[in-house]
Amino acid sequence: MKDQDYILFEEFLSGNLSKDANNSFENSLKNEDDFKQAFETYKKLSRLLAHKFENEDKQASFQTNLKNISDTYFNKKEPTKKVIRFKPWQYAMAASIAIFIGIYWYSLFSIPTYGDFANFNEISLTVRGGENELLTKAENSFNNKNFTEAETYFTQLLSIESENQEFKLYKAISGIELNKFTEAEVLLKQISKGNSVFKSSANWYLALSKLKQKDYKTCSEILKRIPSDAGDYKNAQKLLKKL
Amino acid sequence: MSEKKIHVDQKYIDGLLQNNSFIIQAIYDKFAPKVINYIKKNGGDSDKAQDVIQETLVTIYNQASQKKLQLTCPFDAYFFLLCKRKWLNELKKNTHNEVTINDEVLSIDDDAIELSFETSLFGEKQTLFNEMFQKLGTACKDLLKATFKIKSMEEVANSLNVSYAYARKKKSLCIGKLTQLVQESPKFNQLKY
Repeated sequence: MKDQDYILFEEFLSGNLSKDANNSFENSLKNEDDFKQAFETYKKLSRLLAHKFENEDKQASFQTNLKNISDTYFNKKEPTKKVIRFKPWQYAMAASIAIFIGIYWYSLFSIPTYGDFANFNEISLTVRGGENELLTKAENSFNNKNFTEAETYFTQLLSIESENQEFKLYKAISGIELNKFTEAEVLLKQISKGNSVFKSSANWYLALSKLKQKDYKTCSEILKRIPSDAGDYKNAQKLLKKL
Repeated sequence: MSEKKIHVDQKYIDGLLQNNSFIIQAIYDKFAPKVINYIKKNGGDSDKAQDVIQETLVTIYNQASQKKLQLTCPFDAYFFLLCKRKWLNELKKNTHNEVTINDEVLSIDDDAIELSFETSLFGEKQTLFNEMFQKLGTACKDLLKATFKIKSMEEVANSLNVSYAYARKKKSLCIGKLTQLVQESPKFNQLKY
């Protein structure tokens, strides 16, 4: 194509040609393949140029954004290793915290045992200056946790005073310690049915007897019967919670 | 084409066109791994995959912004085919040896093949156009830029300090030169420009 042809293309596209020139131009499009092909290409390129420059800014911001996202994505494939190093004391601290938490949870959720709750105070049966040898022996052996002996002495004492509720209670406790549950429980039930000051204690130890036998259900039921004014109420509630 | 149902994945095309970072990110997260995997298996590496994906997305963006690009197939298949074709062309360009390709079996519908072919062709035409534009002299580039940005030829003439008639004539000749360059390129017939 000659320069003149390109000038003609532009004039035609802008609609600046005279009627005659326009007709002649359309004739050339119909009859001359080269002319037609050059014109079509010129037209397409004009459109591309228009689009290119009109959208230059948008295109640039798209490409920048795309590059950023692409770089981020591909860098992620080889992640920078972030290692936080602990100092030795931090390990020690973490370990002790873990141990404390462990113990706490263990104590909170572990199954309670008889040993956790069977804490008896020392008993005092002898009246000051009293000379009852059997009573002293019973007291000492009980306080020294020699329950086999204690049980024998309390049996002897009961043969003298069969309705002494206190003797019955200590004989029962000794019995529980010796795993003589049936005997012990018979005594405790007798006490709990009476009206002595040992009534609620009897229930408490009855519950402990069941606990020692791992009969948790009966244990709970007995504990619930211990009134709030009883000496062992606090312990009873504590045990109930754990059960 | 217009009778066909637009696929829901058109959202990815629209998102690209709107330069929506969220969508672009999603395209990478969802569709890039398959392409990266393919390129790595076929003689490329992560860097090559990054270029192929980025160039492909630019092509899709350009096509969508110049013509209405309506997706009638899943974006996954369309995008994968485009990247694959681009990578194969890259391999052909750089190696004279026979390229063995581990072709993966893809469940691809005809729409995906047709659409991705159109986009590839569009991309190659765009590349040819850009290459030839760069071959123009600085005076032509500046004039064309001014012409299409300012639109009023009087203002263009003023800004370039030339007469109105000269500006008009020069515009025709510059586009004429570009036309000539494009037509003379060996790719011209190949691409049915």
